[in-house]
Amino acid sequence: MKPLFQFFSSLKLTVVLLSFSLILIFFGTLDQVQYGIWHTQELYFESFLVVWTFPEHAPLGQHLHWIRIPMPGGYLLGGMLLINLLAAHFTRFKMSWMKCGIFLIHSGLILLLISELMTDILAVESQMPVDEGGTSNYSQGFRENELVFIDRSHPEHDSVHTIPASLLKPGKRIDVPNTPLSIRTVRYHGNAEIGRATSGSPAESIATRGAAVRMGIIVNPKPETYSEDEINTVAAFVEVFNGEDSQGIWLVSNVMDERFPPQMVDNGNRSYEIALRFTRYYYPFEIALIDFKHEKYPGTEVPFNFSSEVKVTHQDSTKNQKALIYMNHPLRYEGLTFFQASFANQDKTSIFQVVRNPGWLLPYLSVLLMGLGMCAQFGMHFFKFLGKQRR
Amino acid sequence: MKKIIYLIVFSIAALVLLGGLRSSKVESDFDLEAFAELPVQVGGRIKPLDSVARNTLLILSGRQKVVTDEGLTLSPIEWFIDLTMRPEVADTYPIFKIEFPDDLGLVGLAKQGQRYYSFNELLPFSEELRRLYAEINPAPELRSPYEKQIADINNGLMRYHRVMHSLHPVGGAERLDRLVDEYQSYLATIQPGMVELRKQQAGEEFDAALLKRFITFADDYLKLSTTAYLRVVPPPPPVELLEDWKNIGLELLDVMKDDPLSPYVTSYASLTMAYRSGDAEQFNREVRELRERFIADFPGDISRVHYERVFNGLQPFYISMQLYVLIFLAVCISWLRWPKELAKAAFWVLVMAFLIHTFGLLSRMYIQGRPPVTNLYSSAVFVGWGAVLLGILIEKFFKNGIGAAMASLVGFCTLIIAHHLAMTGDTLEMMRAVLDSNFWLATHVVIITFGYSAIFLAGALAILFVLLGVFSSRFNKDTARSLSAMVYGIICFGTLFSLVGTILGGIWADQSWGRFWGWDPKENGALMIVIMGAIYLHARWGGICKDRGLMALAIWGNIITAWSWFGTNMLPVGLHSYGRMDSAYAWLIGFVLVQLVLTATALLPWRFWRSEFGQANNRKEKKRSLIAAEDAEA
Repeated sequence: MKPLFQFFSSLKLTVVLLSFSLILIFFGTLDQVQYGIWHTQELYFESFLVVWTFPEHAPLGQHLHWIRIPMPGGYLLGGMLLINLLAAHFTRFKMSWMKCGIFLIHSGLILLLISELMTDILAVESQMPVDEGGTSNYSQGFRENELVFIDRSHPEHDSVHTIPASLLKPGKRIDVPNTPLSIRTVRYHGNAEIGRATSGSPAESIATRGAAVRMGIIVNPKPETYSEDEINTVAAFVEVFNGEDSQGIWLVSNVMDERFPPQMVDNGNRSYEIALRFTRYYYPFEIALIDFKHEKYPGTEVPFNFSSEVKVTHQDSTKNQKALIYMNHPLRYEGLTFFQASFANQDKTSIFQVVRNPGWLLPYLSVLLMGLGMCAQFGMHFFKFLGKQRR
Repeated sequence: MKKIIYLIVFSIAALVLLGGLRSSKVESDFDLEAFAELPVQVGGRIKPLDSVARNTLLILSGRQKVVTDEGLTLSPIEWFIDLTMRPEVADTYPIFKIEFPDDLGLVGLAKQGQRYYSFNELLPFSEELRRLYAEINPAPELRSPYEKQIADINNGLMRYHRVMHSLHPVGGAERLDRLVDEYQSYLATIQPGMVELRKQQAGEEFDAALLKRFITFADDYLKLSTTAYLRVVPPPPPVELLEDWKNIGLELLDVMKDDPLSPYVTSYASLTMAYRSGDAEQFNREVRELRERFIADFPGDISRVHYERVFNGLQPFYISMQLYVLIFLAVCISWLRWPKELAKAAFWVLVMAFLIHTFGLLSRMYIQGRPPVTNLYSSAVFVGWGAVLLGILIEKFFKNGIGAAMASLVGFCTLIIAHHLAMTGDTLEMMRAVLDSNFWLATHVVIITFGYSAIFLAGALAILFVLLGVFSSRFNKDTARSLSAMVYGIICFGTLFSLVGTILGGIWADQSWGRFWGWDPKENGALMIVIMGAIYLHARWGGICKDRGLMALAIWGNIITAWSWFGTNMLPVGLHSYGRMDSAYAWLIGFVLVQLVLTATALLPWRFWRSEFGQANNRKEKKRSLIAAEDAEA
């Protein structure tokens, strides 16, 4: 037991783990050229093991593409560092004033590691485009999708029944929540090209109902993209059952949006609109965009400021408020952060990034601890050094 | 002897200073200094014509002077005034820098040993150049060196042409000598011209000659409005901060909309005529008038514009760069002879160079109204500044010249880097919207950059340790210990600053993007520096590495910091990629290779170390292995 404890608490292990972190971060930066930030983050920092491959399109790529370097992923290294740190504090450290700096730095570090883990697991990012003069009460993910059945029979509100697209595995039967319906995914494409069948192309489509049949839409699968400025066109063939009776197979896709006529599923007494769309997050409040400004430096195209004047109307009217969202000044509201991310439509539409990150305060706390610790630690060293010099 | 040493060092330093001050003076009957201070709106900022002249020359020639075929040296403003007012003369100045003229495949262009070519020399090849330009890769980052050269020449010619047309329409001598008359006859033509135009459109009878004259003017000025590069015409007062200035062509066109013609336009016309006829008195009167009008219209800007012109002329970074060389040499000599005197003299010159460096930094802050680091160029200037500051502190404690030498080395190298980064044009550009936060620029960016300074200085000290240890027989235990202490202290500093800076960056990211950390390349780079520091410190505290290993780690700090500073900017991803660059790959790779060789040198077994210190360690190691062998036998 003791040698094991010694191993886990040793400074050597710290140095080794830190060196591996250095390597991991370096390759995790390089691979962003290929996979984009978001996917690389999953591969490298939210994983236990990762293998780096020499990119094919880099200089000398054809010759060196066989090179592969395995390395521990972020979760493994973070976890090990945490254990190492805790073990070291239990075994080696005697609490004393001389050590308080190190102790503070390390507790800050532990907090930072935990907060990063929390962010990975709990944080949700989405976008909310709002037109000038318009309102919105939901935001949209830009990577995750959902399959929805919308019941529009109620005069005042729609009921939306959703299944996350990540559950759409071919062959699997899933009940649609709160409806008599269930579905079976026939085919699922993470990215595809969707177009109309022309006389030349093989009109291969397994859909038996809906727009795909009416308009002769066909699907050509293609590899998923990780680029920051492209989206994946997700497409799925879904068989819908009412009880045990198959109603047919529909083609759904996140590009078949409001511009397409709705595809309806009828189970005799109720009809549902079926669609695949970017995951939506609904809020108990509405954001109205009063004015969007895009200012440039005189005589240039360099942006000087983007700002959105908004009005928030909450179901609980005591929470209503007005706000100006601009660069470096997001709106924090109901546990969400709205910041000015982009714009479209000749400066008539403002796009907000909406972030829900329950752990957002932790880094601040850890910063405080580490800052204090550093000052104490290096301050003591420095004064000791000064004392020596004087003698 | 002592006094003579001081005298020599200080008089060289004084010579460097005087040389810098003298070169900023322009001798001429024409009041070129006042002309250089006339305002122009570029990149969202009001600046003096002098800055435009310098930046244009930097882009075209890679230097801030023109050497004519007769061997005369012209200052940027002298060149600029010829370019705009006597283009027929300016066309003969060799200002287009072509590094490899033979490679262009233009028969008859290349001249033996000549790197600068005039517009007239390039003129016969303009068709050919345009044709070549149409064939090269449209994506700038994918161009080969040959294609880059073609693109540079074409873009240079375009810029030359557009800057030339900035102050008035350009034509032959008969036009330039009668600009004021031209404007007058244009103004007189507008009213009747419009009447004739309306008549023509209504199908009535009209004066064809008059209409033609009017339309010729309009066509010409329309073309001018798309060509003229500089916005030299301010709107009539009172002027708002974000209002666009106009270029000459636009202003002339807008007169048709019943706007009065701006007096700035006519003033530039009279200036040109005066300059061309050699009438210095008239020229100076016009310049003064223009300047007074600007002061009246922009009372808040004149002092800054004036300051910028003076600052341009002084070139403080160039002076401190030369002084850093002097310091380095002085300290190197001090290790052979007169150690005390030379080290002391070097220290005081270092302080002087630092003050001049600081002056330059503060001047830029005043002109831009921003904290010191706003782009890659200013980060280079600041890294050097920080390293010199730390070097002075070290020198204060250790007084052996080592701190001064390495600080001046880092200072010199970073200023050289800055000099090359400046080739792309204006280094005092406006900040993109997301970076527009003086608070965060002053805290996060400054602290991070200061961290770079520290790590580079520590790396330089470690290199010195290795080189002296391996090659110099005089390197002893005491020097080794003090160098080791320096590296340790500076890395503590660097780690502290990198960590605090990185964390502040996280807070800024949380404030503006709603997330503390996003694994963006620049963020990762900063984190890597912090981890490198942590590795060094833990390895030292835990006794895992001894002298050689620690020095190797400190040299690795150089690699990591260079990656974080430049390497991450070369990747085409990320929210931080505001300082993007397409060249400099080779330099970075070369730098890394040199550092790797040095690391390997640091790890050489003790028996290869020629120094006293290395030999002592070698003996110790031998003894230890002997004892171990004896123990084993026993």
